[in-house]
Amino acid sequence: MTETLLRIRGLSKSFGGVIANADVDFELPAGGIASIIGPNGAGKTTFISMVSGHLKPTAGSIEFRGRDVTRLSVEKRARLGISRKFQTPSIFPNLSVWENVELAVLASRRRPRDSVGRIAQVLDLVRLVEFAEYKAVSLSHGQRQWLEIGLLLGNDADLLLLDEPTAGMTAAETHATAELIRRLSRELGLSAVIIEHDIQFIRDLRAPVTVLHLGRVFAQGSFEAISADERVRSIYLGKA
Amino acid sequence: MSMAVVHGRARGSRPGEEVPAAVLFLILAAIPLVTSGYVVYILPQYMLYGILAMSLALLWGNVGILSFGQAAFFALGGYALGIAMKQPLGVNPAYVGLLVALAAAALVAGLVGWFLFSAGVRDSYFVLVTLALSIIAEQIAVSQSQWTGGWNGLFLMRMTLTLGSALEYPLYEDIPAYYAVLLVMVVTYTALRGLTRSRFGKILAGIRENESRMTSLGISTSLYKTLAFSVSAAVASLSGALYGMHSGFVSPSLGGVLFSTEIVVWVAIAGRSSLLAALIGGIAVSSISNLMSAITPQYWQLCIGILFIVVIAYFRGGVAAALPSLVERFRSQP
Repeated sequence: MTETLLRIRGLSKSFGGVIANADVDFELPAGGIASIIGPNGAGKTTFISMVSGHLKPTAGSIEFRGRDVTRLSVEKRARLGISRKFQTPSIFPNLSVWENVELAVLASRRRPRDSVGRIAQVLDLVRLVEFAEYKAVSLSHGQRQWLEIGLLLGNDADLLLLDEPTAGMTAAETHATAELIRRLSRELGLSAVIIEHDIQFIRDLRAPVTVLHLGRVFAQGSFEAISADERVRSIYLGKA
Repeated sequence: MSMAVVHGRARGSRPGEEVPAAVLFLILAAIPLVTSGYVVYILPQYMLYGILAMSLALLWGNVGILSFGQAAFFALGGYALGIAMKQPLGVNPAYVGLLVALAAAALVAGLVGWFLFSAGVRDSYFVLVTLALSIIAEQIAVSQSQWTGGWNGLFLMRMTLTLGSALEYPLYEDIPAYYAVLLVMVVTYTALRGLTRSRFGKILAGIRENESRMTSLGISTSLYKTLAFSVSAAVASLSGALYGMHSGFVSPSLGGVLFSTEIVVWVAIAGRSSLLAALIGGIAVSSISNLMSAITPQYWQLCIGILFIVVIAYFRGGVAAALPSLVERFRSQP
């Protein structure tokens, strides 16, 4: 039986009178991928911010590997293996690509004996070997997205929280990113929760989809089931 | 491209400063061989200013945190050594004084740093608190006159290096004192250089570049910043203790805001991103200041202030940061 890596119950967040998330239930098995879609303002980033620890929930609980992490700080969650990629890539712009990944490896909870080998492996995974000596600021937006995913991998994360990982990427890069995430899950047993607007990317992931609407879970199921759901189609995917 | 090549090129992109540092140390080591008198007397004090400047560069250049409190730790070191040397202790009182100086500065900085950084105090407010530290240090030095001598200051004897009964090496003469201070400077520079290249130093650089990313990678940034502040304070205190020992005198103004500002000026002019630049800045700018104060007692601070403004306006990273591009421009000229 597959272990449940992430179990979320009744997660809610309000900012004053504004409800960003209400009573969200969510589960992810170890090694699983899940995507979250919804229009702007649906509460997707708020949801992922509560899982990463950047926002404290108003109510509800978050369990990671059976441990309640609801009140843990960002760095403590990262040390348990929960790592987040932000909507706007958060990297070290003035350092080289190599030094970026090196920092992630140095900060990881299980530092590898062969750090150089580990950095090289990560750069290979995120297709940035050729750019290792470049300053991160000189990378394209899509490459910066990959570099940030590389930081999560170098940091030895078990759960990747990816907020719009394909923003600014070409169609080919987007497809390659979906391939990478599936490969990480399949070969390294990593898990990922992904927020995206790009429906083609969501299709490529072949992972369960959760639709958020006005902060609540509107629908959950496979991509095929979600895309066949008339309510979802009419609101989010477009009927055409 | 092979990974080894990539690794080497990615890491080797920044010029090393080992060779210029070795040249500087050799020149300083040769000075007592070719000259004597006032130069050999005064240079160790400028070298100690150089160590003090490195203590700030460690914090400002590596972590991106500016401190106006370095003078407070400098004075703490001087007074700790002076007070310890007056006590009837079984062991060499100067050793006890040095240990107390290092521990006290590290502890004070650790407590202040942890209190501020763990509360999420922004860097600009940290600057203000360190400014207050200098004011407090000066006030304590004045008010606790039974220990510090108040406005009259505290007189110190030069120490004797001992190792049981086997070694006894007094530093009363200027040449032994010169080489003792030079050795401390070389060791401090090497240790700090090693620190900045270690895992600890790289994580500090990561905090400077993107603190929230380091937090998201599982690093307790407040702990690292506190440790960096503690190390910086201990180094400042060491230089202050040796300065007091060498000059034979410490006074409240050594812990004050004016002197703290001078330290910031040395490092800003020379370049905060390089320990060697800060070291040279501490030695050179303090030498120039001293020279100018003899030539024009009324206007020397004005001149240093103008130099500071020019550097900040045109070379924000200081001379060290501007040097590579200036050299490149010079080379490219036909």
